[in-house]
Amino acid sequence: MNTINVSRRRLLQASAVTGGGLVVGLGFTGCSGAPAPLPVTSTEGAWTPNAFLQVLPDNTIRFYTARSEMGQGVTTGLATLVGEELDVDPLDMDIRLAGVHEDYVNPAFGMQGTGGSSSIRAHYMQLRQVGANTRGLILEAAATDLGVSASALSTGNGFVLHGDKRYPYAAFVETAQSLSIEADAPLKPASQFQYIGQETKRVDAIAKATGTAEFGLDVDVPDMHYAVVVRTPVAGAKALSVNAESAKAMPGVINVFEVSTGVAVVAETFWQAKQAAAKVVVRWESMPLEAVDTATLRRDYAAALNAGDGVEGPVEGDIDEALQSAAKIHEAEYWAPLLSHSPMEPMNATVRIESDQADVWTGIQFPSAVPGLVSRIADIPTENVRFHQTYLGGGFGRRGSPSHIIEATEIAKVAGKPIQLVWTREDDIQQGPFRPASLMRIKAGVDADGNLIAWDAARAGADISPDTFRSLLPALYSWMGDGMIEGVANLSEWYFEKFATDESSTEGLFEDYDHPNTRVTHMTVDHELPMTFWRSVGHSYTAFAKESMIDEMAEAAGMDEVAFRLQNTQNTPRLNNVIQVAGEHMAKMNPPEGHHLGFAAHHSFYTDVAEIAEVSVENGKIRVHKVTCVLDCGQAVNPDIVRSQIEGGVIYGLTATLYGGLNLERGAIKESNFHDYPMLRMNESPEIEVVIVNSGTKPTGVGEPGLPPIAPAVANAVYKATGQRLRSLPLQLA
Amino acid sequence: MIQFTLNGRAVQTDVDPNTPLLWVVRDHFKLKGSKFGCGAGLCGACTMHVDGAAMKTCVTPIAAVADKSIITIEGLGTPDDLHPLQAAWHEHAVPQCGYCQSGQIMAAAALLDANPNPSSDEIDAAMSGNICRCGCYPRIKRAIQAVSENALAYDAMAQTEGRK
Repeated sequence: MNTINVSRRRLLQASAVTGGGLVVGLGFTGCSGAPAPLPVTSTEGAWTPNAFLQVLPDNTIRFYTARSEMGQGVTTGLATLVGEELDVDPLDMDIRLAGVHEDYVNPAFGMQGTGGSSSIRAHYMQLRQVGANTRGLILEAAATDLGVSASALSTGNGFVLHGDKRYPYAAFVETAQSLSIEADAPLKPASQFQYIGQETKRVDAIAKATGTAEFGLDVDVPDMHYAVVVRTPVAGAKALSVNAESAKAMPGVINVFEVSTGVAVVAETFWQAKQAAAKVVVRWESMPLEAVDTATLRRDYAAALNAGDGVEGPVEGDIDEALQSAAKIHEAEYWAPLLSHSPMEPMNATVRIESDQADVWTGIQFPSAVPGLVSRIADIPTENVRFHQTYLGGGFGRRGSPSHIIEATEIAKVAGKPIQLVWTREDDIQQGPFRPASLMRIKAGVDADGNLIAWDAARAGADISPDTFRSLLPALYSWMGDGMIEGVANLSEWYFEKFATDESSTEGLFEDYDHPNTRVTHMTVDHELPMTFWRSVGHSYTAFAKESMIDEMAEAAGMDEVAFRLQNTQNTPRLNNVIQVAGEHMAKMNPPEGHHLGFAAHHSFYTDVAEIAEVSVENGKIRVHKVTCVLDCGQAVNPDIVRSQIEGGVIYGLTATLYGGLNLERGAIKESNFHDYPMLRMNESPEIEVVIVNSGTKPTGVGEPGLPPIAPAVANAVYKATGQRLRSLPLQLA
Repeated sequence: MIQFTLNGRAVQTDVDPNTPLLWVVRDHFKLKGSKFGCGAGLCGACTMHVDGAAMKTCVTPIAAVADKSIITIEGLGTPDDLHPLQAAWHEHAVPQCGYCQSGQIMAAAALLDANPNPSSDEIDAAMSGNICRCGCYPRIKRAIQAVSENALAYDAMAQTEGRK
């Protein structure tokens, strides 16, 4: 059996002497007087100069990662930022997942949340500054202790260097604690980076390859019982009657009771709870949603588009005049279905309530929500709620919703025991919250020279943001009563229906090309299904409509697909450049006979991406052989993780392109597990080549931007292969 | 009472004989490395070795493994003593969220034990029972190929094709 050198961190851990710590907040603005204590490990003799770092007596450097690790590699990325300026190898750090504290807010949101491909961009300067300030303090302390000038000292991976002598950072902790924190230590120029831009291994790979990484589902506390919830098949229905007699008689079952989302079954083991849940008989109230099938959604959306009385988004120029004067006009309609996120780890949360204290263990994208929600449900003070973040077994937006925490808290309160709530896969696929379905209609015009002059785009469907807003309100505004929350949430829904477009609903539909005459219209059509953000949010469907339409317009103008895009992206030069580079790659490709290349480009989360899909159609089946992706995400902090995120975005997007689609039957989701809601598997996974173009800007997003172009790139290739222009996802040949 | 061997240790349990092996291992023996993904044998997150063969343990009743030898991810290797596949997972930065990776590695280990030199199609066939939502498939395949006896030949091929 081979072994590899696992990095010095493990050796340090093996010999670690743990013991207490001093904690000094970074001092982000908080409204209240005294800052809350940092939720960090107390270790004797350790120095905690800020919320992110601790130096232990054995010179272990501990890093608290403020963003949720759901696979995107953010832990490695953030450790790289702080390690670059602190001068400590990220692989040598002892990594901890942070609890809830104002110092851990995402600078992009002002709250402790992870999403929108924002983490590296938002923390790029902040965490480097934290590292630089801490290193500056250590150097100053070392200069004092050694009686030399700080300029005679340098550092190397956790050590202060003086001549041929090395001293661990930990040697200067006592003096450092007596010094004041320097606020603006100078940062390294990019030319001196030793970790940023390097292909450092992931800090979490060994734990995840050995089954030792702890996910929410792996949490185990004394006397923990398991809960499964019997849920309504039609969203929003309340139980009219419950017969739990046979369930209560099942082995291991200790309690069966109603909660806000259904009927909770609590048992000694998950298996017992699941078996007993199948015996619960519930009569659900009848809902208007029962009149809705998949076809109803599409019909209602089309009716809204035909009526044309939506909310106008951005309007520029004179769209009607431009369409009149165009040399060629073309109109088409595109459909994208309801989708489930289906992370591999089903939703779960562990909650323990003891007198007026609560502990919550789970992996969540929005830790800010936990104390407020649990405090409200369990009726205990917010400051008595301790949140223990775990690794997230996939997020994709699903773990931005706190549904599982609300349920687990309700159940733990009634059960009077620590509870681990586990959603089944069927719950996951059928209950949402979902990526909304969308019907999009675009009418575009070009002049005789192939310039896009008119872009009239409309989208009908449910809004994405209001449901998430509704679920987070009770957490974020603890002073609001339940009635007021309901009122504010209803107001926001009404506002988006009547007065303003929820930006998430139309993002990506109109921003990338030069068309001087533009009109964007949004029709909110809500069938009362729960919705939330899904990887790349609105871009996940708008890019399909926009980039299919661009291909159609290129053909209408009699132009090459790349040349047409280049000509019409003069105002978006970073996107223009990736189209140029991808076009050069495409020109050199020599696909085998029967294989066709489709092209698409899209800007999202501040990153520009162009993708080429090599596709064949064999026996009526679409097969994607290779995907080449060119992206500009500014400074790639870890190019290998950038590549892995693009690979992941492409594959997640390919599942939606080729298979994804939930269907409603009398208001209930028809699909239930991976047999009828299939996922792309290895045998269908294409070879993926990622080309990183760096325009020299600071980092921009990579978790989501790889996804939007893949569906239109494949659809555009299928058109070349078959002559069929497929305008509905998932792509299905006639 | 059902007896079996768990990572080389003789164990016994008196749970309901219909209880799936996955939950016996997770909830009774407290080994949490094997994961619950679908409960229907469709995703492979629960994969363990039963007498050397990869099995979906969320649908395998404990009664069916009486007197058999079970190996879980914890028995394959540890952070201080990695199995070659686990080392390759680190080297090729395979895991993203990591949740499915115990199952992926157990499936890959069973494949290489039975066929140390699998072709690309044979890897696809052996690994297609394991879903990864993060989309780590290209790296999983690369890591398996790196460990397989074909590693040197594969490297040479990749270099010729300009992929490395």
